[in-house]
Amino acid sequence: MFKLFSSLRKEFLLLINDKTGLALMFLMPLLLVFIITIIQDSAYKMVNENQIPLLVVNHDKGGEGDKLVKALKSSSLFKIDSQDQIPQQSLRSELLARGKMIALFIPEKFSAGLESNAGDVSNILMDDLGLEYDSIAKDKVDMPRLSFYHDPVLQDNYSQSVMGIVQSYMSMIENSLMIDRMYANMDLGDKSEVLKKKMILNRVKIDQIVASNNNSTALPNSTQHNVPAWTIFAMFFMVVSLGSNIVKERVNGSFLRLKTMPTTFMLVMFSKMAIYVVVAVFQVSLTFSMGIWILPKLGLPTLSVPNNFLALIAVVFVSSMAAVSYALMIGAFSKTEQQANGFGAISIIIFGAIGGILVPTFVMPGFMQYASNFSPLHWCLEGFYVLFLKGGSWKELGLVFSFLGIFILICQLATYFKLRLERII
Amino acid sequence: MMESGGRVCIEIQHVSKKYKGAQESSLSDVSLNILTGDVFGLLGPNGAGKTTLISILCGIVPASSGDISFYVDGQSLSKSQRKSRIGFVPQEYAFYQELSPRQNLDYFGAMYNIPKTKLEERREHLLQVLGLSKAADNKVETFSGGMKRRVNLAIGIIHEPAILFLDEPTVGVDVQSRNAIIRYLQSVNETGTTIIYTSHHMSEAEEFCKSIALIDHGKVIAEGEIQALKTAHHVASLQSLFINLTGDAYRD
Repeated sequence: MFKLFSSLRKEFLLLINDKTGLALMFLMPLLLVFIITIIQDSAYKMVNENQIPLLVVNHDKGGEGDKLVKALKSSSLFKIDSQDQIPQQSLRSELLARGKMIALFIPEKFSAGLESNAGDVSNILMDDLGLEYDSIAKDKVDMPRLSFYHDPVLQDNYSQSVMGIVQSYMSMIENSLMIDRMYANMDLGDKSEVLKKKMILNRVKIDQIVASNNNSTALPNSTQHNVPAWTIFAMFFMVVSLGSNIVKERVNGSFLRLKTMPTTFMLVMFSKMAIYVVVAVFQVSLTFSMGIWILPKLGLPTLSVPNNFLALIAVVFVSSMAAVSYALMIGAFSKTEQQANGFGAISIIIFGAIGGILVPTFVMPGFMQYASNFSPLHWCLEGFYVLFLKGGSWKELGLVFSFLGIFILICQLATYFKLRLERII
Repeated sequence: MMESGGRVCIEIQHVSKKYKGAQESSLSDVSLNILTGDVFGLLGPNGAGKTTLISILCGIVPASSGDISFYVDGQSLSKSQRKSRIGFVPQEYAFYQELSPRQNLDYFGAMYNIPKTKLEERREHLLQVLGLSKAADNKVETFSGGMKRRVNLAIGIIHEPAILFLDEPTVGVDVQSRNAIIRYLQSVNETGTTIIYTSHHMSEAEEFCKSIALIDHGKVIAEGEIQALKTAHHVASLQSLFINLTGDAYRD
């Protein structure tokens, strides 16, 4: 017992003496989670909560252009900057000069074109019904085109979302015009309002439901996504400290010296693993605490901890073991500390990228989605998402534990055989 | 196991070692008897096979062939018993430079299964006799080469071994530290500890060792008490004997 205590104490002392490693292991996750959650939360709010700045240039001579602008304003989705004096030719340069990301140009014959089209539709209907109507020929005006300008750096899906919103308002305006025209043709005057309300305003509503296993109605948010993801990323960065620690002991002969002593190498490795698993658990506790208590104070969503706390502990433990085992393997295979630090850090970034930490896996090409199965960070993340976002239980974690178990086993065996090959064990 | 003049402590019989992929053997059919209480020098030029032989004796690398037996108080030691009774001071600073001498001795002492109270006593004794008491709680990485060598030595003898292996224990240190180390090792030897030692300092070896084995190209080319060897080869010093037997040519 004294031997085990001494071995654990030595690992602890080595750990607290490595100030850079400690800073990387504890400050980095906090900074990462803090910065990325704030950034992603603002992006999330930009689309869902904040008003989108929209430059509107309305050259329409009729009233439909104003109706569209009014509808966009009343939607509260946009912060409208009306600049009707800007000619269309200079709109591109004005957009960039004013620092706006998107602009909408409404042409001069916007109302005329819509009214002309509504008249055509109404006439067809009257003809089909065999009803008489005012058939005095009016000037035919082509269907108008709206022009949507956007900054080249704006992501396409963002532009598509805004155009979808404009399209939706246009449908309402066009339908309203058609109904008005048909009622006018039938000499029904102002009676169209009831129909318009029924047709336009009483539309099918879509309820957004999160497909979680515990019937939670809470919507995923930036904290819930980012805190677990970046905690895992930081956890695996212990490769820098533990990996170089192993290299140092291999190179300076400490391991060989231990071989001449009446002790087992298992004790050495067990002590290292135990201390670093505790470090990983502390990292998780620290970053999760920040998600629960500090981020809400900055106006960010609160991290809500899963109900299945035991499963959370199991996922944290298995993820820690995966991170520790990987660090041991890197330490065993690296010839120098620089190799362990460089390769270890870069490999974690690559694992993070293909594992869905940086970009969600579902937006990746097919072969990259397949490759993500080989990233331990993917399975750690999956484990946390099952609990944090999907309200999953032990059953849903089976695959996560299996893959991480295999990964841990491979790393441990590789470490064992490499050290055995070097006659350290 | 007795031999004329003393009791055998280590019996090395026909030991050979060829590393995987190596063209030549590092050791070829080495046979030696090292007596209890001796200070035995394993001497030879670079690459002669001294470190390989010490590594085999300490159980770090296995011999390709041959037998090695250890005896303490006339009793043969099993492989597991050997680890408790031998001490090893490698050429490298094989300890944790981020820790203090006290912390290093605590750790390695515990690995030798020394009970806590005994370990504390032994630790303080070694820190004092090796002149490390004042810096006992400072990180070793801030120490001079001589102080690091003394820490390296202290770790190897924390458990009062019956047999002590020293691989170049004074390399890279100043005269003062070298003298202090050698003096201390002589006092350790006086308590009955058998010492097996390698060095490139022939004058130091001549002063410190009672008997030697000269190894070259993996073979023992001379063995015996220093004075007897000098007389047999008509030389005045161990250095002359060394040059006579191994030549002047550079060794890699």
